[in-house]
Amino acid sequence: MSEVKSKEFQSASKAALNDKGLQRLLGRVVHGFADLRDAAVEEVTEPVWEQLRERARSIKQQTLANLDYYLELVDKSVTRNGGHVHFAKDADEANKIVLEIAKRHDVKRVVKSKSMVSEEMGINQVLEANGIEPVETDLGEYIIQLAKETPFHISAPALHKSREQVSDLFHDWLKSQPTNEIEELCRIARDELRDKFATADMGITGANFIVAETGTVMLVTNEGNGRMTTSAPRVLVTLAGMEKVVPALEDLATFIRLLPRSATGQRISAYTTFLGGPRSATDEDGPEEYHLVLVDNGRMNVLKDPEMREVLQCIRCGACLNTCPVYQKVGGHAYGWVYSGPIGAILTPLLVGMDEGKELPFASSLCGACKDVCPVKIDIPRLLLRLRGRATEGGNGVKGSAPWIQKLMVRRWFSSVKTRQAMNRSAKLGRLLQRPVARGGRIKRIPLPMVSGWTQQRDFPALAPKSFSEVWRDSLDKP
Amino acid sequence: MTLLPDEQAKKEFLERVRTALGRTEPLKHVPDHPSLKMELPQQEQKVRTIQAKNEARRERLITALLSRAEQMGWRVNRVPGPEEAARAVAEIARDAGAKKAARSAQDIFKRVDVDGALRKMGINPLVLASGRTRHRSQLKGLSFEAEVGITGVDYAIAETGSCVVIPRKGLSRMVSLAPPVYIALVEPAQVMESLDDVFAIRRMQYMQNNGRDTNYMNFISGPSRTADIEMTISIGVHGPGQVHLIMIG
Repeated sequence: MSEVKSKEFQSASKAALNDKGLQRLLGRVVHGFADLRDAAVEEVTEPVWEQLRERARSIKQQTLANLDYYLELVDKSVTRNGGHVHFAKDADEANKIVLEIAKRHDVKRVVKSKSMVSEEMGINQVLEANGIEPVETDLGEYIIQLAKETPFHISAPALHKSREQVSDLFHDWLKSQPTNEIEELCRIARDELRDKFATADMGITGANFIVAETGTVMLVTNEGNGRMTTSAPRVLVTLAGMEKVVPALEDLATFIRLLPRSATGQRISAYTTFLGGPRSATDEDGPEEYHLVLVDNGRMNVLKDPEMREVLQCIRCGACLNTCPVYQKVGGHAYGWVYSGPIGAILTPLLVGMDEGKELPFASSLCGACKDVCPVKIDIPRLLLRLRGRATEGGNGVKGSAPWIQKLMVRRWFSSVKTRQAMNRSAKLGRLLQRPVARGGRIKRIPLPMVSGWTQQRDFPALAPKSFSEVWRDSLDKP
Repeated sequence: MTLLPDEQAKKEFLERVRTALGRTEPLKHVPDHPSLKMELPQQEQKVRTIQAKNEARRERLITALLSRAEQMGWRVNRVPGPEEAARAVAEIARDAGAKKAARSAQDIFKRVDVDGALRKMGINPLVLASGRTRHRSQLKGLSFEAEVGITGVDYAIAETGSCVVIPRKGLSRMVSLAPPVYIALVEPAQVMESLDDVFAIRRMQYMQNNGRDTNYMNFISGPSRTADIEMTISIGVHGPGQVHLIMIG
């Protein structure tokens, strides 16, 4: 499995906040995506959008509730199409299956179109270690592969890279002339990747959806690399999380209407590709052999978990990232693993374990913007709250719980607001106690052992000199 | 040798899913789903209804398709008949400075004499289909050399401005993908109103041939594009940067 660095969220996010170039790009690009999405939703009108979301949620929910049936149906359908379906328990098993397929065909070079589950697996390192060259063919993925980084954003993996940085990377790795023209950079990548498509023995794709009844995998792309990957090589492998299933072809219409609009604000992406087996005897081209690898890698535990199951509805659009005030400031890498933003803050602790991921559910203001834009209506704030609870209560196999001082303070706070009189009393006391530390309406630091941690990452708003009821009473007293 | 799936691992995996869902037995009935419960005759009836609906409003659908396609970045041209279509194709190829134009071996080229029109302009027509080229493996190389690719389509979708291309004998996957300029020839009867229409038809076809198709298919909705560098749109990455939709009739 790919490396997890989510424990370093605080230091990594601080570094991102201090990176001026990154802040400039983040401000423009992330807001840009959010604006495009809003315009696209406005065009279909709010009531229609609401209906689509509701239908999508219901399809996903019902499919998950009968996932055993539908996975068996996927197996049957793809097999009937002439393909092979493998089931992998974890990243290691999935890597082994892909590697074995590659070895049996004496594969030297693999072209990949985008796949998030392959990022979970860390398949590229595994292939490289075995003398096989993996080539990412989505432009953004290609850039971060050259830079040896992980995706910064789910639908725009290299959005943190400026054109100058891309030009430098291409100059270093491809010996191209430096340029500031984005068109020219795209042309350089196109020429380089044409050669790879012409000579690759194997293709690897992800899957946006898998239709159980027909064994059809649907891919949403804009550049055409997905079409190349599924057309040119003689062996093709699709990697997919086990939750990607929908029952019938007709269900896809709803998701095509939701996914590109939510992701990039497009009515539909340039290419929507459907595949589901090797080429037939009479086809002109296409792969001779086809494998679908369905991956668990932590999902089974989520399916088992009634509180968390709805996160498996996620269609990986990235809308929650774009609208999130935290993501907008700290970007994708701070989250330390494959998935970032609000959805990453849920998926990471669930898929890699609470031990590694427990920082992330706290990286949210719980403002709820993510819930509003989610095309499959996942109640992200509720899930984040539950995970916070588990992180401190010691749920999910984690030892320890909230420190006694925190518990005591919460209890004190509760008794101090229970009645009107208690609240007035404690407000008075509070104003007295905060005097040494409150400056300009904020408490920046509490210099006490045990509680100083509270103000390490954030300021605490100081109590106002007068409460609202005091101001009200005073103003009534005046003529 | 093909790596065959580990059947034991598969069985255990599905067992774990069942347990996770709190079931001890496999589901006895097909889950309740509006499509799954439709058998082939009902699906055929559904498709007949769709076709009739679209037939009744053909002209409006064509107008809607062309305007949406234009929004999606297609260059749109409506011509009265096959002769004008062939000429339009040749003019696009000429304007693109093409020396070689690749086309599929679909029936539509029996009606639309693209080869003749191209030759008149001094452009070499290249038919990309097995039997026409010496060897299957040459298809890829030849498609990479051509400057223009021309195909007919199976459907066009008014809702999204998409052309639906289903590769098969005579229609390589590469013709609509590899050359920098792509021309889609569309006929009025192929225009569908919505995504739902096309998926209903595809489901019917799948049931009719019982999965013997590869079920490979593309919805092409404008030029190849990327916004991966600084969110700036750049046209024509791995696929064609210039796409033309010619409506014949």
